[in-house]
Amino acid sequence: MTGVTNLSIQIVTGDSRPIFKQIVDGIRMEVAKGSLPPGAKLPSVRGLAMQLMINANTVAKAYGELTALGLVEARQGLGLFVTEPRQLLSDEEQQKRLDAAVGAFINEVAYLSYDSEHIIKAVQDALTSLGGKAGKNSDEG
Amino acid sequence: MNHCIQTEGLTKRYGKKTALKDFTLAIGQGGIHAIVGSNGAGKSTLFRILLGVTTATSGIARLLGEDSRDLSPGTRGRVGYVNEEHTLPLWMKAQQITDQQRSFYPGWNQSIYEQVIGYFDVDPGQKISGLSRGERAGLNLSMALAQSPDVLILDEPTLGLDVVARQSFLEALMFTETEANTTIIYCSHQMEEIERVADQLIIMEKGTLQNNSSPDAFVERISYWIGDFANGLPAKGALPGFLTSRTIDGQHHILVADQGEEFGQVLKNNGAKAVAKAPVNLERAVNAFLTKNHNTPDSRV
Repeated sequence: MTGVTNLSIQIVTGDSRPIFKQIVDGIRMEVAKGSLPPGAKLPSVRGLAMQLMINANTVAKAYGELTALGLVEARQGLGLFVTEPRQLLSDEEQQKRLDAAVGAFINEVAYLSYDSEHIIKAVQDALTSLGGKAGKNSDEG
Repeated sequence: MNHCIQTEGLTKRYGKKTALKDFTLAIGQGGIHAIVGSNGAGKSTLFRILLGVTTATSGIARLLGEDSRDLSPGTRGRVGYVNEEHTLPLWMKAQQITDQQRSFYPGWNQSIYEQVIGYFDVDPGQKISGLSRGERAGLNLSMALAQSPDVLILDEPTLGLDVVARQSFLEALMFTETEANTTIIYCSHQMEEIERVADQLIIMEKGTLQNNSSPDAFVERISYWIGDFANGLPAKGALPGFLTSRTIDGQHHILVADQGEEFGQVLKNNGAKAVAKAPVNLERAVNAFLTKNHNTPDSRV
């Protein structure tokens, strides 16, 4: 009886994103997809380190960042749990991140031969599969 | 603060060759510190001096706070060392060697030994000469960790190991539960291993210290730029932080250290038409550092 939710994230070496960032991105995506609902317990630092075959300090760093982002919270002596969705970022910061994400996205699709209608549709579909918003669901641990 | 390894102005000359040049390094306690350098960068010389096997031409080296020229038996007992060859007496049986080591080290922890050797398929009755390289490496690591050392120096321990043995070795190294806050010094050329294992990345080049930070912080120091120069690349001196460059399809791909976004403008001021910045991974960043000052056929002199 551990109550730990399985994490199916993968990391690769040789990527330009450091491993801790890959973990942060991976878990953030799992949360957004709903495979890690609010209240879900994350693997222990050591457990995830063993699963991914990496230094435990790297996992601890990723967990630290996720905690700072407000996506997970530590419960004394119990471990880390996915939090209820809430927005910790200021409007300004959110706008900044949205702009950065749009910029990167445009960079990727600008050279494709699709018209903007097609691209917007694809984005719309992807957002719909997240449930329209990146935060939903409810449950307590 | 107590450093487990500390050198100041360490210099070692072999005849005309300088193996270490005014080398100053401080390593704190705990964590895994990876040391990277090309062959001949001075890594082995550094270890030999630290362990008191050879003496420096000038400068100071301290191991666990003691001068390396005069290490006490007590301090020697707190240091573990695993070399790339996994040298062990070939005529002895595995069991005999572990018995011998156990009697040498007062802090020997049998349960750690058993935990680690469990990763490897070593029969205690087997002679060393009959063990594979991977099994020898496993036996060596088991004994080194069982000593509960304060410092464990591993000099390219996974060299020549197959995938399975390498994986067991890394797992045993990272996940064995020890009470001791062992500081691990890990020398390797395998960037993939370093990315997985290292808390700190120390880079040596030609006997000098080039970096001592986390691998992530190191990668952030390096940036990769692609520029289109109608009249060829400007002289190296004009480009701050220049490490290496290559010409690919007529464009210059340049790696630089410690430059911000404004470097794009520097390139434009030097005659670049189009400029783009690309992400860089650890291996490329490290290689750029190690190949700096080394001539390659397509590097620009």
